[in-house]
Amino acid sequence: MRRSFVFMKKYLTLIKITWQRALTYRFTVFAYRVGEMLEIIVLIFMWSAIYDNQPIIKGYTLQEMITYLLIGNLINAIVRNWLSEAVAKDIKNGNLSIFLTKPIAYINYMFFREIGRISVAFFMSVTTQILVIIFFLDKIILRFDDMSYLLLISFMIILAFITEWLISYLIGLIAFWTDEVDGIYSTASRLRKFFAGGYFPLSLLPPLFVNISFALPFAYSFFVPTQLYLRKMDITTGLKGIGIQLVWILILFIIVKLVWKKGLKKYEGIGI
Amino acid sequence: MPIIEVKNLGKSYQYYKKQPGLGATVKSMFRRKKMYAEAVKNINFSIEKGELVGFLGPNGAGKTTTLKMLSGIIHPTNGEINVLGFTPLDRKKEYQKQFAIVMGQKNQLWPDLPAMEIFILNRDIYQLPDKEFKNKLNELIEVLDVRNCLDVQVRKLSLGQKMKCELIAALLHNPKVLFLDEPTIGLDVVAQKNIRDFIKKYNEKEKTTIILTSHYMEDISQLCKRIIIINLGKIIYDGHLNDLIKKYAPHKLLSVTFNNSGIEKKQIERYGKIYKFDRFKTVLKIDRDKIKNTATAILSSNLPIDDILIDEDDLDSVIRKIFQNKEIH
Repeated sequence: MRRSFVFMKKYLTLIKITWQRALTYRFTVFAYRVGEMLEIIVLIFMWSAIYDNQPIIKGYTLQEMITYLLIGNLINAIVRNWLSEAVAKDIKNGNLSIFLTKPIAYINYMFFREIGRISVAFFMSVTTQILVIIFFLDKIILRFDDMSYLLLISFMIILAFITEWLISYLIGLIAFWTDEVDGIYSTASRLRKFFAGGYFPLSLLPPLFVNISFALPFAYSFFVPTQLYLRKMDITTGLKGIGIQLVWILILFIIVKLVWKKGLKKYEGIGI
Repeated sequence: MPIIEVKNLGKSYQYYKKQPGLGATVKSMFRRKKMYAEAVKNINFSIEKGELVGFLGPNGAGKTTTLKMLSGIIHPTNGEINVLGFTPLDRKKEYQKQFAIVMGQKNQLWPDLPAMEIFILNRDIYQLPDKEFKNKLNELIEVLDVRNCLDVQVRKLSLGQKMKCELIAALLHNPKVLFLDEPTIGLDVVAQKNIRDFIKKYNEKEKTTIILTSHYMEDISQLCKRIIIINLGKIIYDGHLNDLIKKYAPHKLLSVTFNNSGIEKKQIERYGKIYKFDRFKTVLKIDRDKIKNTATAILSSNLPIDDILIDEDDLDSVIRKIFQNKEIH
């Protein structure tokens, strides 16, 4: 018990000081949140205009569509991170060297650092998203009745956080091979958002497409938990989703380990 | 038993060659010519506990590459390294807790946070007992005189203060071996001297084994008895600084100042080779073993002497000579 406390202590300190660092940029963080909030409001206006006199589009009422956007974005605010840039920066400017000489594993260091780093943005996002939700309260569906759904969604969100983290870390590791990573990140994040259903519900697309994205890890950060919330998906499908998430976490973890090993060899200048 | 032992250590890097021009750039996107650069070529040395050794060499000589291999950051192409009984590249925690590296051009402090936060983080990373940590920290703060810098964001500190805090961060876990890569780079003369004095005192007091790289001759000559000179990836000298000076600077400089109306060139010519001549101040280049006699002779002559001074040949010019000759032995 004491041992594990000593082991965890460095990570708690790490979370604490990254949190502090994030707080020094509270204004920037807040400014970003304003933009996010506006984007969601614009989307709500857009959908309201599209619906006009139609009661239902592809199985969604306007109320469901607005709920989709608001709840989905709230979940997305919980699971996302900005890890790729941080990892790439460490690799590119050689700061990784310092970690390699310290008795702490880089992947653990980054995991806890990111938790601290996103915390301020996390609280601000969640607060602003909830404010928007309250503003549109009469336009959305509130469903907090079934505990089993809530538990399932919560668990899915936790797994989605880990999945998102691993994907970002993996993308960050690309910096081992090329200095030009900004373009890759930008493209990757758009693709992620699209496959997650962040632009619009994936069910607006052909069913084949939905099936494919259900097998990919991205939809669990937005589309799937929101579908569960709207009860457009049942518990069994949700549980299947959890299974797929667990498989993805395992796969991603193995890929991360392999890529890290290979990348580090490049960094060390091996294989000549 | 040496604390650091390096045998036949070598390191090659791979890079791509590209001709200048737009056409060549386009061509190089499809076909690149692989090139190999040998940064370090089969070097050997061993260092005993408590030594303070200077690595001296021009940019790109292989100093940093060697330190990186000693720290386990990069992979040697060939050869063996043993530090404190460990192979650095294994990155064993037991090894990492016993050494530290400070790189003048890379920081472990975070620019946005006060240095104190990173000291606390290091306390937990190295799992130091709180009391030990506090004692060591206070001691270092005192010696380096940085008490006022600890609660200020690191990016608001001066370069010298920053380097002092970097040193503290690296020394908190009381490393037995310390690698300093260009610790005085970019600092002004006063800050350089402060850092230098600290390193010297610290080495004497704690008996920490230190390897220091620098291309400032001052750093090395003030701090290190033993120097290892590296050029083009090879060790071209390993030994005492004094021996090197004796060998490479067989002359000393004798400056004589005259009063009244000064002297004529021919009056002084017979005492030795003239290095610089002026009616009122002349510098002679004299063999080391003849310097005493010459000085006595000049003093007892009837020349209008005001002052006389014996100096070492400029150390920088010694080093320059060595780099030009390449091989010493």
